[in-house]
Amino acid sequence: MKLKKFAAAGAVVAVSALTLAACGSKSSDSSSKQVLNWDESAELPTMDLSKATDVVSFNALNNSMEGLYRLGKDSKIEPGLAKKTTVSNDGLTYTFDLRKSQWSNGQKVTAKDFVYSWQRTVDPKTGSQYAYLFDGIKNANDVMNGKKPLSALGVKAVGDYKLQVTLDKKLPYFKLLMGFAVFFPQNEKAVKQYGDKYGTASKYMVYNGPFKLTKWTGSNLSWTLAKNNKYWDKKNVKLDTINYKVNKSNSTAYNLYKTNKLDATPLSSEQAKQLKNDKEFITRRGASTFYFQYNQTKKAFQNKKIRQALSMSINREQFVKKVLGDGSTVAKGLVSSDLAKNNGKDFAADAYVKDGVSHNKTEAKKLWQEGLKEVGIDHLDINMLSDDSDKAKASTDFIQSQIESTLGDSVRVNASNVPFKTRLSRSEAGNFDMVISAWGADFADPISFLDLFTSNNSQNDGEWKNSEYDKLIQASKTTDAGNTDKRWDDLVKAEKILVQEQGIAPLYQQATAWMVKSKVKGVIYNSSGSNYNFKDAYIKE
Amino acid sequence: MKKYLLKRLLYMALTLFLVATITFFLMKLMPGTPYSNQEKMTPQQIKIMNQQYGLDKPIWLQYVIYIFGMLHGDMGTSFQFSNQPVSYLISSRIGASAQLGVQAMIFGVVLGILVGSIAAIYRNTWVDTTATVLSIIGKSVPNFVLAVLLQYYIALKLGWFPIADWGGFEYTILPTIALGVGPLAETARFIRTGMVDVLNSDYIELARAKGMNKTGIIYHHALRNSLIPLVTLIGPYTVALMTGSMVIENIFSIPGIGEQYVKSIQTNDYPTIMGVTMLFCFGLVLIILLTDIIYGIIDPRIRLTGNED
Repeated sequence: MKLKKFAAAGAVVAVSALTLAACGSKSSDSSSKQVLNWDESAELPTMDLSKATDVVSFNALNNSMEGLYRLGKDSKIEPGLAKKTTVSNDGLTYTFDLRKSQWSNGQKVTAKDFVYSWQRTVDPKTGSQYAYLFDGIKNANDVMNGKKPLSALGVKAVGDYKLQVTLDKKLPYFKLLMGFAVFFPQNEKAVKQYGDKYGTASKYMVYNGPFKLTKWTGSNLSWTLAKNNKYWDKKNVKLDTINYKVNKSNSTAYNLYKTNKLDATPLSSEQAKQLKNDKEFITRRGASTFYFQYNQTKKAFQNKKIRQALSMSINREQFVKKVLGDGSTVAKGLVSSDLAKNNGKDFAADAYVKDGVSHNKTEAKKLWQEGLKEVGIDHLDINMLSDDSDKAKASTDFIQSQIESTLGDSVRVNASNVPFKTRLSRSEAGNFDMVISAWGADFADPISFLDLFTSNNSQNDGEWKNSEYDKLIQASKTTDAGNTDKRWDDLVKAEKILVQEQGIAPLYQQATAWMVKSKVKGVIYNSSGSNYNFKDAYIKE
Repeated sequence: MKKYLLKRLLYMALTLFLVATITFFLMKLMPGTPYSNQEKMTPQQIKIMNQQYGLDKPIWLQYVIYIFGMLHGDMGTSFQFSNQPVSYLISSRIGASAQLGVQAMIFGVVLGILVGSIAAIYRNTWVDTTATVLSIIGKSVPNFVLAVLLQYYIALKLGWFPIADWGGFEYTILPTIALGVGPLAETARFIRTGMVDVLNSDYIELARAKGMNKTGIIYHHALRNSLIPLVTLIGPYTVALMTGSMVIENIFSIPGIGEQYVKSIQTNDYPTIMGVTMLFCFGLVLIILLTDIIYGIIDPRIRLTGNED
């Protein structure tokens, strides 16, 4: 009996020693590998680039697929599959010479893969929610509306390695679009082979980017990007693995970060306020602006002074610091800061109209009284529409109190906080007086924002109309499309009109506060489109 | 018994059908489209998409198509997770939720019985008072608060269990406790009350007079009789665990179904809303049926066919 016990104890000791030894070798192994542990706040819904709509999908696609270009720091165009690009004199034909590269299934990536992918995305049968970005490519709109066959789309493969794209009109931001995942190639064989399952799990997909997606079942909360050894530029990819983990609770993610299970995590506004002096704290500004639309089918809001008074009564500095506290900044205008530059100057700074977004109580009161008089009323009840998230509720509370305390008894603001989809429906139906809307740019060009407020744009819910504005936007797309400086001036002027006239009242540019370990280097973050590019990222212990 | 079961099963089917119908029409009353990029699409594009997904058809026709599909086991395809069949979304995530729910129920009920019995046996002593105070606290502290506290102190500070994620058994312990404390407190209070009543009854006096020992009395007479009303609590517990798990799953990053449900409603993901609602509803009516049957079995005084006499 004693002997048995002794033998058992010996076995336990031996097994533990072996286990410990195994652990030891494992940890020394992993320290030599380049591993990044990244937090994600939501599931990965799809890897089908024709159907992707959300940031998580676009980030995964951007790092596991490769298009004609790859967007580097500040959305700089960097070489992707396009070795050489030739643009015709009229700016309507682009010819790309493609480099030789492979899909992860060993097939060649050819010009036909681009043609197939684009046709698939604009095909009404596919139901792509991002097909509108093809507007401007020859016949794209007619194909999307089912009026022309897929083959009419202005994209053609000339042999295996030459791709020719024809445009209906000049698109000054065309190259930027080519860096967005919606324009990446797709392997026809894979799409057909996997059928309905295509892009629904990592195994039902082929890759041609710096990393390959693995361990994704389609609905699980973790997945991995592993270095793709068939990638054309694999020698410049430093990370071996990126482990993604979905944590929907910020406090959970931060606890994991503290125990080194995560190398980067976003923070809630409360956490951000507490951690803002930490050396690993950073804020990332997105190309997303929040603003008021006034319902200008209603007489009171057709009055510019009333619109100005409402906007001026809000102390935006205090709002972003005290209420939001997540690194969000006061919007300089509609177009977000750090989105686009010309001759070294940021668009938002160039088009800045200080009066349009500043706080001035006295002026607000004066304009308000004058405005009321001009309209012929002595009191205004305002229905302010907004989302029902905690942040949106805090925002409406603050704005409501600012307006009422500044403008006094002659105004009453009633806030309606409704779910996001309800807010959209009510905005579209014009069922509001003021609505807090938001817009995120798809690509790093001011037009991604400014297009919204042309007279007939379907997103112009407040129905603000200004012919000068329309003309400038039109000129930027036609006569001045080929001249970078002139086009820039048109757009700057247009934005100045929009803000001076208070067609909308910009509020803030959204940011997210993050904690990122100092050993993580080379991560490229762009505020628009696919946010993260990990191609150059590495760990420096 | 057979007749009774058949009748109950018919009622179950009717309940499910009514829930499906009401949910379907209520869901269609929600404004907006199921497209996540709705704000950027023009009305024309939305129209094309609606045609593509059959959402341009009259609502009654969509309803008929849906019910027909469901009867054939087709719950449709999710909008949020494009191309992903709802049946796959549910089957791949129900496991974690179910495991968590069952563990929390076992933990809560077993421990609750133990605490409740001890409190009843030592009634009106400090043991009883402590147990009562603890169960009041357990009942009134929301499970998400407890979850955050457990995560911070037990997992982060002491490092006894993983902070979050879903792997082996050790990952399930903290979420089980967080979710199970509510039922534990409820059960303990229930058992205590029931047992005190029983312990004061005549037949316990008789058993004592016959010279039965204390353990025998408590186990054979007091506990068994006070367990009966507990069965009725299983239904409400199931509901509480289903809704409670949504928050707990979020805090411990568990790949369960709860959060999926909330998100599908927020995004108008019609097929997922229907799929998960029907699943929850089915689970609930099944539990209610089972408790009714169990009730009859453990207490012969309650006859299932009683109302037919």
